[in-house]
Amino acid sequence: MMNSAIQIARERLIKTITVILIVTICVVLLLKVNNMLVSFIMAFIINYLFSPLAATIERTGVKRGLAVSLIYSFFGSIFVCLVIMLLPAISHQFSSIKYEFPGYIEGATHLTANFEKDLNAFVPGMITFDLSKTAETAMKSFSMRIFEGLPGLFSVLLQTMILAPLFAFFMMLDGQRAIKNLLAIVPNNLFESALNLQYQINLQIGGFVRARLLEAAIVGAVVWACLLAIHFPYALFFAIFAGITNLIPYIGPVIGAIPAILLAVIKGFPGLEIVYVAGAFGVAQLIDTIFIVPMVVARIVDLHAVIVIIVVIIGAQLAGIPGMIISIPVASILKLTAISVYQHLIYRHA
Amino acid sequence: MFKSLWENVIRRSGDDVFENIRGNFLFKNLSTKELHFVTDIVHIRDFKKDEIIFHQKDAGSGMYIISKGRVAITVYDQNTSSDAANEKEALITELVSGDFFGEIALVQQNGIRSATARATEQTRLIGFFKPNLIEIIERRPSAGVKILLKLSEVLGRRLVETTDMVSDLTDQLNALKKSC
Repeated sequence: MMNSAIQIARERLIKTITVILIVTICVVLLLKVNNMLVSFIMAFIINYLFSPLAATIERTGVKRGLAVSLIYSFFGSIFVCLVIMLLPAISHQFSSIKYEFPGYIEGATHLTANFEKDLNAFVPGMITFDLSKTAETAMKSFSMRIFEGLPGLFSVLLQTMILAPLFAFFMMLDGQRAIKNLLAIVPNNLFESALNLQYQINLQIGGFVRARLLEAAIVGAVVWACLLAIHFPYALFFAIFAGITNLIPYIGPVIGAIPAILLAVIKGFPGLEIVYVAGAFGVAQLIDTIFIVPMVVARIVDLHAVIVIIVVIIGAQLAGIPGMIISIPVASILKLTAISVYQHLIYRHA
Repeated sequence: MFKSLWENVIRRSGDDVFENIRGNFLFKNLSTKELHFVTDIVHIRDFKKDEIIFHQKDAGSGMYIISKGRVAITVYDQNTSSDAANEKEALITELVSGDFFGEIALVQQNGIRSATARATEQTRLIGFFKPNLIEIIERRPSAGVKILLKLSEVLGRRLVETTDMVSDLTDQLNALKKSC
């Protein structure tokens, strides 16, 4: 009996170390191999987005492989069509921005010079350096960096666009089997807790990803519709930007609105039109706050508002804007893990 | 002898699992295709002699089918000692290959194990848990309904047995009260 207890304890220890080693190696590979983490996160997002659809198709008696292939063919075709349709518009907007950019810098410098003059008149000697000159140099070097860095960004984007759907395809096809194989080496005493934890995390993150993407799409669509209604230039560009930045909690909507409002100010739009532009973003945020967040997002991640603010700040400090985007799902994973470990310890020693 | 030798060479462990699942009451009405689907998602767990499968009061989320080996189901005997350290276990039953246990956890919100399960010899179990049941309901709803119907039947039978036991005990208690 004693020998068998020692043998069981030894086997459990070896299995626990093996699981920890495998997970650590995977994390290190994700972090160290170039472009792997972004591709994997994108793959997870695609996986969470389309898995419910794959299950719906499977219900009709279609096999998983065929269901996933059907989804890929259908949405792949839509994506290609959209790219073909929108590419001329996006590239036109982009080259237009590139062409008009020096004008915007000039306008911004003029604005800063006026502001500097006003400020000096109000509090003489407050600014001891040439604010407009400094701002102009900073903006020029920033815009140069953006346009110079674009080819590199496109190469990363292209790699991700190939890798992420490929990874997602296999995740949807064999993801459950991979998890089952990993769970097979979890020691018996931790198995049920590990299985439950994995299930809860999967459920919560899946719901969170779908809810946030739906939210971003609705916000983007509302901004686009409102900006089109007031005939604002680059409406599509600003709508996509607002949709993406909306993923950042709290400050995302502000960041999303800044470029459009700045453009309106620099271009010398009348005051009322600037209010209209700000109103377009305001309407999108109002719809988001009143309808989408309470009905979709808040139900999924059960975290207190204060905790959300704290984790977003921590995320920002640790990993900047990407850190802010992933801070809430990471916090919810940590919360679930803590509850699971606590329950395991409490019930085991009750 | 040759037959068993060939059986060992040809039959993979997956086939044993398939046969165990096919023979189980919960999966009785499933088609071969549905049985293969269930076989793919269940978990195979091996336990050494005297290894605890779960403790009484552990959080539980599913049931186990005994593929081979024996499992003792015990509860803490509260009459023997009030001291937790010296608590003894009372044997409720010993289950053998083909039997299943822990199925109540499949339908409980936060399932707590009502007894301790211990392998009394080298044992192989097939674990079927709530996430597996939900996966079947989502991906193969007709199979899910069949399993749920059988599960309700098992739980209903347990309820009737428990009610009978409680009324028997009440009768005995009343008789005891009258005699005193």
